Amino acid sequence: MTQRPTTAAPAGLSRRSALLLPLAAVLPHRARAAIAPITDAMGRSITLPASPERIVIIFNFEEFTAIAGPSGWERVVGLGRKQWAGYRQANWNRYRAAIPRLDSLADVGIADDKSFSVERTLSLRPDLLIVHEFAYRSMAPLMQQIEQAGIPILAIDYNAQDPAKHVASTLAVGSAMGTEDRARALADLYLERMRDIARRVAGGKASKVYVEVGSAGAGTIGNTYNNAMWGRMIEAAGGTNIARDRIPTGWAPMAAEAVLASAPEFVFILGSSWTNAPNAVRAGYDVDIDTTRRTLAPYAERPGWQALPAIRNGELHMIETGLARCLSDWVATQYIAKQLHPDAFSDIDPVKSLRQYHEMFLPVSFAGTWMARLRPPNA
Amino acid sequence: MSGSAIAGWRVANARRMLASLAASGALVTCFAADIATGPAMLSPAAVLRSLAGMASDPMLDAIVWSLRLPIAMMAVVVGAALGISGAVMQTILNNPLASSYTLGISAGAGFGAALAILFGAALPVPQAWSVPIAAFVFAGVACSLVAGVGRMRHATPELLVLAGIACLFLFQALLSLLQFLASPEALQQIVFWLFGSLQRSSSAKVAIVGVVLTVVLPVLLTDAWRLTALQLGDERAGALGVRVGSLRLRAFVAVSLLTGAAVAFVGTIGFIGLVAPHVARMLVGEDQRHLLPASALFGALLLSAASVVSKLIIPGTVFPIGIVTALIGVPFFGWLIAMSGRRS
Repeated sequence: MTQRPTTAAPAGLSRRSALLLPLAAVLPHRARAAIAPITDAMGRSITLPASPERIVIIFNFEEFTAIAGPSGWERVVGLGRKQWAGYRQANWNRYRAAIPRLDSLADVGIADDKSFSVERTLSLRPDLLIVHEFAYRSMAPLMQQIEQAGIPILAIDYNAQDPAKHVASTLAVGSAMGTEDRARALADLYLERMRDIARRVAGGKASKVYVEVGSAGAGTIGNTYNNAMWGRMIEAAGGTNIARDRIPTGWAPMAAEAVLASAPEFVFILGSSWTNAPNAVRAGYDVDIDTTRRTLAPYAERPGWQALPAIRNGELHMIETGLARCLSDWVATQYIAKQLHPDAFSDIDPVKSLRQYHEMFLPVSFAGTWMARLRPPNA
Repeated sequence: MSGSAIAGWRVANARRMLASLAASGALVTCFAADIATGPAMLSPAAVLRSLAGMASDPMLDAIVWSLRLPIAMMAVVVGAALGISGAVMQTILNNPLASSYTLGISAGAGFGAALAILFGAALPVPQAWSVPIAAFVFAGVACSLVAGVGRMRHATPELLVLAGIACLFLFQALLSLLQFLASPEALQQIVFWLFGSLQRSSSAKVAIVGVVLTVVLPVLLTDAWRLTALQLGDERAGALGVRVGSLRLRAFVAVSLLTGAAVAFVGTIGFIGLVAPHVARMLVGEDQRHLLPASALFGALLLSAASVVSKLIIPGTVFPIGIVTALIGVPFFGWLIAMSGRRS
């Protein structure tokens, strides 16, 4: 794991901050008892209070819930509310019904719209800040201010879509929260399922796959993924990502004619319960399968798409966009793999996998539509 | 006759003094309000206790001393730097629309910062410093492109303005190219940097901008009468013994230092550099001895006021300062234009 010079160990940070900021705050008194340093997803070794009681977290709330359990939220004092209540409102509504405390938590802002406030965070007197790697790097000057105030930051990284980082993130949160057993179970489940998928797809045909975000509907070309998130999941599912090295960055729209010329054999449009997105493909807890299919159907009518092998063969699918870069993304990988290699996955039902995952680790019950084909087989 | 001229001068001088005093008072008020307000919703008494060194709460001290004070001071020094650089630009280009923002100097700095974010890992300097250094250097590059055109024969102020606008488009295009090629996380870093914000301030950064300011302003003031003469036009200034070409070059260096230092630490904050000199000019006149310090004063006042307003719009949240400066600045600017139209 490469480490940039800016990510120094906490011992070095506190020494440096002592020089720079004679008035830097120290940890709250009751949180002085420190545990052995733990290593976060960025490979940084950080020293935390033995039992953090005032946690602020700005991303991956559902992963945190799975690892720490719903009671873990009793030790949280602030969150990046818009990231959850704003961007994934249907999920937020389910979770706050299950964990009423969520509604009363202070909002510290989020990285995406640059609303994250150091002052607001410090005013909550946190003894631990949990951020995703993306936020840690993109808001580096602000993270430095927080570290200089003596508050440890634990970086997690599910966005990288890298099983090793999933595991490192999960175990780090488990150690911080004292729920090592749950963390270990989640990490083991994740690795075991990903290995199972790899075993089953080995030697199979690497069909051509195209993924597109369906938030603006068929009339707009949404983002697809290069060697990131869904692009990596396609490859883990034994497919060939047609956008690999065809778009300049991690995610961006791919030109319409390039999609046609690539002749994908499977198309997965990502749906969700986005708000203020009238043309979006609908999916998630509150969405029935008919709504999903109705909102997915216009994609088959896109100019030229009738000629695509995927559309001709009825391989136009929807997957809920939240089933990436998270602890349950193996389920979506399973779904993609099952479509590409039906015989190897005849005994696997990804929707059932997701339901079981909910039952085992989450305080909300499974409901709605998360993965679906436009037309039922043989229809 | 001469008696009335002296009386007139006295009146003008008194008006200048009064305007400067009022603005200084307003600046002190804004600065205090900037320290007193913030999303942590501390009581003024608690803030005072911390300022007096009598707070026993380390978190309170961290908020007041490590966050609010550097932010409030940064608003003052950056506002002053942008105000002066706008005044100098408008003077040497003889154009009321000139500012480091409209003529591509800020865009150059943004391109430099993006370059360092993308490729800075290869440099031996930590990114926390390579980015502002690159921004600073490229503000200079943008400035020297414009100044280079100014060294050409028959270079008129109009041609320089055109060169500045071309410079703006050039660096915007280059910046877009880098953003297009950037990985999502580098892109987010670039966007975060470009987004004008005082929140990244620290005492070290305030000190750097402050040093640039205290070095450049006195040097500029030694050129004050030449800059004032330049307002008569290049030829007349030349007839008065001003070496116009080298004066412009010196002024460009000053602008590049001021803008570079300001933009390097807070990103691109527009409008201050454009509007502060106009306010100053309306209140103290064209004489550069007064105009330059007054532009600094009003630049500082505008940015400090914007910083306060940005925290009051939605209590508990810091509203992006770039949005505030434009939303407050545009109607204010419109009002100024209407007023000056009525006067003439």
